[in-house]
Amino acid sequence: MYELVRGPLAWAAFIIFIAGSLYRIIYMLAGCKKEKIVFPHMSLKHSLASLVHWVIPFNNQYMKQRPAFTIVTFAFHICLVVTPIFLLAHIILWDESWNISWWSMSDTIADYMTIIVIAGCIFFLYRRLTDPVVKNVTDASDYLLLAITALPFITGFIAYHQWFDYKTMLIIHILAGEIMLIAIPFTRLSHMLFFVFTRAYFGSEQGHVKHSKDW
Amino acid sequence: MPDLGNWDWKSKEKMIADTAEWKARFEDVWEPYVSPDGEKIASIVKIGEGEFNVCVNGETWEEPYEKLWYSRFSPDGRLTVLASKDMEWTMAVDGKAWENSYEYIWDTKFSADGKVIAATVKQDDVYGIAVDEKTWECSKELQSIASYVISPDGKTVAAIAQTVPLGQADLEGFLKGTWSVVVNGKPWQNNFVDLYGLTISNDGKKIAAEYRAAICDYGIVVNGAPWETTAGCTWEPVFHPNNNDVVTAPVRQGGRWFLATNGTFVWDKGFTNILYQTYSPDGERIAATVATSFAKWTVAVDGQPWRTKFGECVLQPYFNPDGTKVAAIAKDRGFWFLVVDGTVLGDGAYYDNIWPPVFSPDGDKVICKVEKHGKYAIAVNGKIWGSKYEALWDPVISPDGTKVLIRGIEDKKYYRRIVPLASM
Amino acid sequence: MKPTIAKREPVVDDAMDQTEAKLRPEQIQKVINEVIDKETGGRLWTYVNTCIHCGLCAEACQWYLSNDRDVSYAPVTKIKDTIWVMLKNKGAVDAAFIKRCAEIAYTECNLCRRCGMYCPFGIDIAYMLLVVRRICAKLDMVPLYLQDTVHSHAATMNQMWVKPDEWIDTLQWQEEEGQGYVPSARLPLEKEGAEIMYSVIGPEPKFLAQLLGNITAIMKVAGLDWTMPATAGWDNSNMAMYSGDFEVMARVERLHHETAQRLKVKKIVMGECGHAFRGAEYDGPTWMGWMKPPIPIVHAISFYYDLIKSGRIKIAKKAEGPITVQDPCNVIRNGGLGDKLRYIMNAVCAEFVDVTPNKRHNYCCNEGGGVINC
Ligand code: SF4
Ligand code: SF4
Repeated sequence: MYELVRGPLAWAAFIIFIAGSLYRIIYMLAGCKKEKIVFPHMSLKHSLASLVHWVIPFNNQYMKQRPAFTIVTFAFHICLVVTPIFLLAHIILWDESWNISWWSMSDTIADYMTIIVIAGCIFFLYRRLTDPVVKNVTDASDYLLLAITALPFITGFIAYHQWFDYKTMLIIHILAGEIMLIAIPFTRLSHMLFFVFTRAYFGSEQGHVKHSKDW
Repeated sequence: MPDLGNWDWKSKEKMIADTAEWKARFEDVWEPYVSPDGEKIASIVKIGEGEFNVCVNGETWEEPYEKLWYSRFSPDGRLTVLASKDMEWTMAVDGKAWENSYEYIWDTKFSADGKVIAATVKQDDVYGIAVDEKTWECSKELQSIASYVISPDGKTVAAIAQTVPLGQADLEGFLKGTWSVVVNGKPWQNNFVDLYGLTISNDGKKIAAEYRAAICDYGIVVNGAPWETTAGCTWEPVFHPNNNDVVTAPVRQGGRWFLATNGTFVWDKGFTNILYQTYSPDGERIAATVATSFAKWTVAVDGQPWRTKFGECVLQPYFNPDGTKVAAIAKDRGFWFLVVDGTVLGDGAYYDNIWPPVFSPDGDKVICKVEKHGKYAIAVNGKIWGSKYEALWDPVISPDGTKVLIRGIEDKKYYRRIVPLASM
Repeated sequence: MKPTIAKREPVVDDAMDQTEAKLRPEQIQKVINEVIDKETGGRLWTYVNTCIHCGLCAEACQWYLSNDRDVSYAPVTKIKDTIWVMLKNKGAVDAAFIKRCAEIAYTECNLCRRCGMYCPFGIDIAYMLLVVRRICAKLDMVPLYLQDTVHSHAATMNQMWVKPDEWIDTLQWQEEEGQGYVPSARLPLEKEGAEIMYSVIGPEPKFLAQLLGNITAIMKVAGLDWTMPATAGWDNSNMAMYSGDFEVMARVERLHHETAQRLKVKKIVMGECGHAFRGAEYDGPTWMGWMKPPIPIVHAISFYYDLIKSGRIKIAKKAEGPITVQDPCNVIRNGGLGDKLRYIMNAVCAEFVDVTPNKRHNYCCNEGGGVINC
């Protein structure tokens, strides 16, 4: 079983993730091309300006207005992306299969970061259940996405601490990770992919076309 | 057309008037107009509190008016001005007022030879067209006139007019149709929601317009009969120059614009926009301003767009007399260019403004009025030729095609000059 | 997802109620799918597939804030209750639903674009609600007064059913008024080749004619070479843009810009109207295929800023007392003129008191988007 999830399934997951992401991005760009006005309205300068103001915490007015949320969401998203990439255990896998490796973080830090991701998920779940606006626009898919996001981290955390049967947990963890990878292009987790583009467009429209700003 | 042959094509230069002197004589001198043959220059001048007159070549009309505006020379050189006295308005032609006066009169138009003068009038809240002092007799009390056209021979005048009164916020009444076309006082049988782009055939026998049947439902109607198909949107139709059975208009279908003649697409390719479709003089070819994509403007001739594209806009295309060349005025990055068959003339020369070009009879030369740095000049094939003027009017080529009439103000003096085309 | 419960009386509007009674489901489905397939593209798709349902846009909306944070007014809610359902059901919705869509899109959102600036992804909710308006317009589900105004635009090319002679007559009368301030002032009609074409909104000749007298005096004092058209094409406003009747919008804008081209002016200077600026500067040209207006448009704020700054007009007496200003979305957030507006306010007011939030973070006055005509 381990061999299966570690080998062919992992392959499949990465291929689907990469090919799927490419497909979705190309599909989006084709749709924008059809719209005629999208690309002529874009400007690199204003795209970058918008991104700079929205990927750096507290660099726009709205983030300043909601400090707690800003801290949580940045901590969550940074840990979510950084932890799996720089986790030693993951890098070893890359090394074993492809003979490539890079800097890794200490397991203790990774542990804390995992906790942050899980805590973030709990925070978002809490918001979904209590904030009237969010609750109103939440449906099953939103809970599912949260679960897909949280699961690799919860299982990884458990596996690392060897709380249950390590081998089983590891297999579940890998599977969870693969599910998430596959889900990214084909669910609204794709906001990960599209963020750069939607920001760039709105930044361009506000800056290049409307001579204003979007932060 | 007036008979250009009768004009003075011999005198090389005439200084017709010194407008500096007018400024000293009158309280205020408005912008001047010149007659087509260049022999007269006229301005509305203020001679006192609430007293205006017209100064033509230095002479004022006998009678002053309380208000004057819209001074326009007819093609045969008569000066028409809209004039008001004692709260009533009339048309004054060469100093002589029409016998009738009106609650209001506006939008002077002429037949091609200038013999017929028409204008929209309002009397007792009823709208009409007055042609040579005679107002239409119309069976309906017209509520408004949006626009009108006059045939080249001046015998037919057609207007887009509101024939049915409409109450406030009466959506239903509006959608039943309150507008119609009135031809020489006789309304078409049908009413339409809206009518636009009125046009008349060269022989004056046929009238076409765009009509709107409902939101996003537009069509072309010719002498009251609509084309079989409707479109998402249309622009103004034009008649074939020599065949009044043929009408061409841009129509929008599925978000693209197509050119259609009598309801059938004649250009197979759709464009982001199509404007100002123009027939060649013999009617064999059609040119139009098109956007091949967003912000990519050019001219398409018989459906084939020029390779050069302009970022801002392209104005109406013009054919040369034998229909082999097409010129247009285009704008890119804030400047205007004169383009012939896709090539910018004058080695990429750009101007602050360009006026409609005229072709020499052999099509070799394109002449137009241009503006640069606040001065006006004549440009030949895109390059400035001769003096710079403070004011300038469109150049006119003599009927034999050998001479050009230039009308311009230099040093506040108005000159009428004749230049051999070959020397330009 | 269940539709959001809006705790308020449904809108009573004769035109909308009549349409509701007439609309057939096939017709609705056809129009929705036509608009979505033919008139939208990558943007709508990406926005819908990116929105993470986080609700952060709620804090942006003045409808939400001023109604005690009523969930039904949150921007994302308005999308949920309109576009999401249309997409999910592939256009199979009923007339009552379309009426609710029209209520939301026309009367509970001003297309002010503040929410776009507060969404972390820059999802342009106002754009999506304009798509909803477009669908409603094609189904005749437009509030009566708004539709009537659109009819006026369509028939007269101005917003207020002003007839051609009334327009010219008003200008001639206001020229005299302007001469009351500056005796040598003139309102030059149809002066080809002038530097500036001045254009206004329909309500000016109809209700606020004195503004035309004022500009006559100002232009004279500033020594500018200007003109106004004596033909249709003088009105720069455009309620058809807001109803979603883009064909009428384009026709009006085309005529406005072509009038400037015909008069061979260098620029159009317009009055203060924000939505008119939006229509003339962006929405109209975009539909026509122009990246920007073929003859540049200068908004009143830029115009007066230049006049005051360059000393072409001087302020003889400042207005007394504390005075504040409401930043109009269409020229400030969506036009970038916030600082120039403040320069003018300080120049003409003895005591200018700013608002918070201000400039591009302003709240919409709630009149924009065609909820109220002007
Ligand atoms: S565009 Fe303005 S009014 Fe509409 S939802 Fe967004 S913030 Fe609210
Ligand atoms: S539009 Fe933006 S802010 Fe609003 S819910 Fe969607 S992602 Fe969140």
